[in-house]
Amino acid sequence: MFSFTGKAVMESSSFVFTFPDDKIIRESKPLKIGKSPFSLEVTAGLFEEGRLLDTFTEEVRKSGKLLFSINDRLLLIDWRSGDIFEQPVDYSWSFLPELKSGPVRDNLKGVSEIRAINPVAGLKIRQDKGLVLDDEVKTRVRLSFFSFRRKNKSLLFGVTRILRGYEKTHGILVSWLLAEGAQENSDPLAVYAQLGIQTRDYSVKPRLDISGTDDIKKSVTTIIRTSLGVAEQNEPGIIADLDTEFLHDYRVSFRKIRSALSLFSGIYESKETARLKKEFGELMKKTNRLRDLDVYLLDRDRYFSLVPESSHEGLEILFTHLRRVRKTEHRAFCRVLKSKEYRKSMDTWKELFSDPSNLSDGRQKRRVSSVFAAKRIVKRYKKVCRIARSIDARTEDAVVHELRIECKKLRYLMEFSTPFFAGKKMKKLIRSLKRLQDNLGRFNDYSVQQRFPSEFFEEKMKRSRKGIKMAEAIGALTAMLYQLQCRERDLVMENFARFDTEKVHAAFQELFEHQVKGLSE
Amino acid sequence: MKIVACYSNKGGVGKTATSVNLAYSCAMDGYRVLLCDLDPQGASGFYFRVKPSRKLKKQAFFKDVDCFTGAIRASDFENLDLLPANMSYRDFDIFLSRMKNSRSRLKKALKSVKNDYDVLILDCPPNISLLSENVFRVSDRIVVPVIPTTLSERTLEQLFGFFREKKYQKNKLLPFFSMVQRSKKLHNETMVRLKKKYRKFLQKSIPFSTDIEKMGLHREPVLSYAERSAAAKAYRKLWREIRREMDL
Repeated sequence: MFSFTGKAVMESSSFVFTFPDDKIIRESKPLKIGKSPFSLEVTAGLFEEGRLLDTFTEEVRKSGKLLFSINDRLLLIDWRSGDIFEQPVDYSWSFLPELKSGPVRDNLKGVSEIRAINPVAGLKIRQDKGLVLDDEVKTRVRLSFFSFRRKNKSLLFGVTRILRGYEKTHGILVSWLLAEGAQENSDPLAVYAQLGIQTRDYSVKPRLDISGTDDIKKSVTTIIRTSLGVAEQNEPGIIADLDTEFLHDYRVSFRKIRSALSLFSGIYESKETARLKKEFGELMKKTNRLRDLDVYLLDRDRYFSLVPESSHEGLEILFTHLRRVRKTEHRAFCRVLKSKEYRKSMDTWKELFSDPSNLSDGRQKRRVSSVFAAKRIVKRYKKVCRIARSIDARTEDAVVHELRIECKKLRYLMEFSTPFFAGKKMKKLIRSLKRLQDNLGRFNDYSVQQRFPSEFFEEKMKRSRKGIKMAEAIGALTAMLYQLQCRERDLVMENFARFDTEKVHAAFQELFEHQVKGLSE
Repeated sequence: MKIVACYSNKGGVGKTATSVNLAYSCAMDGYRVLLCDLDPQGASGFYFRVKPSRKLKKQAFFKDVDCFTGAIRASDFENLDLLPANMSYRDFDIFLSRMKNSRSRLKKALKSVKNDYDVLILDCPPNISLLSENVFRVSDRIVVPVIPTTLSERTLEQLFGFFREKKYQKNKLLPFFSMVQRSKKLHNETMVRLKKKYRKFLQKSIPFSTDIEKMGLHREPVLSYAERSAAAKAYRKLWREIRREMDL
């Protein structure tokens, strides 16, 4: 028999199709292919229990592929090319890096390594092989079929492989398949639809239904309402502790809400704005330590590579300790999420932001979104430039931190305002800011990471052997991180110069300043 | 790319059976193989159920790259393709030079469909012609089936003589015993004598076997339908020896 796994075979994939049912291959005798002298012979497999797998953000499906686990193996189908990959897996795993290298693992590049891969739906899968034979029983086309069944629904996926020299026969087969009702398919979403599997269609940045001509109060209310929805979708994932991205997205949503409140100040009445900011701020505070620990633990391998081997033992002790602390932190935050108070707050917020009229009016509430946003962006942009230009080699770190915060605010402002302005130009500007932001972000991370482990170094540890080992490792790591921080610091001026160009100025002017000058509200 | 020719200036010595089974063994080892049927009466195509293309009869056929690639047919086995062709020595010349030149359009055309070959196996006609002289020049190794009889001994002498005369590299020639019947005294004696005379004789010999004769019925390599037979095992071992000779 032939196999499609692993090694490239001397055939090229060709026609990828689906049938809304698997009737066509249920026949036991060879099928005549129209009026041609060829016939299709199918060697049927057996139905096996399988599971469709994906990340919470459905990255596998969005990359045009579907991943299944069937007993002790994984099956990956590329819905566009028809490429099929298989790999045995007889151990439990949730994250890609835990999966051994193999045809499936190697073809899932681009799927997040820190997102857990979990079952989406259970289904029955059968793999059949087909051969198109001529009157001398020579194989002219090979086919691979997959029948999927779920409840009373079914779907047949097929892919043909052209054999060298038999392209004509392949053409005859394709015409016949199309006449029999085959659909040419390139979207794995068809499987979801046909088998009644719900797509989550989750995005941390969902499309916002706002426009530049709306009044700003309506726009900001929509932004906050949407972000609350995103945060809520992440709650079960945080509680189940599937991966660290749930908490990350949850925090991103609330940070967005808080930024919207402060960046667009004056939309709601100031007292109400202050109260909301405080409420959201308090909730965020409860997640800070957990997120810091997550980030630190995710970077484990890098920290080990930074310090000499003699410090590895101490670092291992530190990480064991941090994992324990994280467990406690996680449990504490889960209690918050499951509490009645939290549920009540969430419901109140959702109700409040369901309609702009539920909220008090600030001085600015009637402003046109695009003009209002443009004004604020220009103001922020000028501030960023002013601070950045004042920085030289001797400037204090505090100023660099200030620049980082201002850049972040500018970035958020621009991201919120994307729907108000011509899409491509805005995205380009955000990108041009990104390099500087990444640089500043790393500068800040290194400074946080230097302080971080000492926070967990408790008094009583000082006396134990383990404590001493750990302190040594922390010392070695801090020294390395300090060096890295200095290096990032040196890059700030260079990266700002890249951002501070005529082209960027012109783009800001064109997009925002004209808007401010040209439009009277 | 390595080129192995299967050649004998005597007919009926099991040349095509050898080409087919060596090509199959080679493909089973993971090499991408193109088996070229250079014998107008060749049955390589027949053994793989491949019908010769009608287009192939045109004289100018091999002048065009598309026709070269178009003539190649996939066998029913992974990694193994066939060129079922009636090639004149001139066509063959063009074909080989293009196959060997990595920048040629033919190579590129094959590469573009991942059909670049690691090994070419040539099933040659049983005569000394311009075509076979071409084969002698370009092949990395030439395997020569020899039935251990007096007549075969003479043809082998002739072949070595020809190589000497034309100053071809004699060490390319790898004779091996084919259709061996151990029950025959003559066979055994000839084998001992020839092995002494020609140091390059391959160790493994192929027995006379009804399993091989049945290839015409099955239209598949022996290794595919009678994997465990003595003949199939012999071909596998013979291939391994040749592979070692070529440093593959």
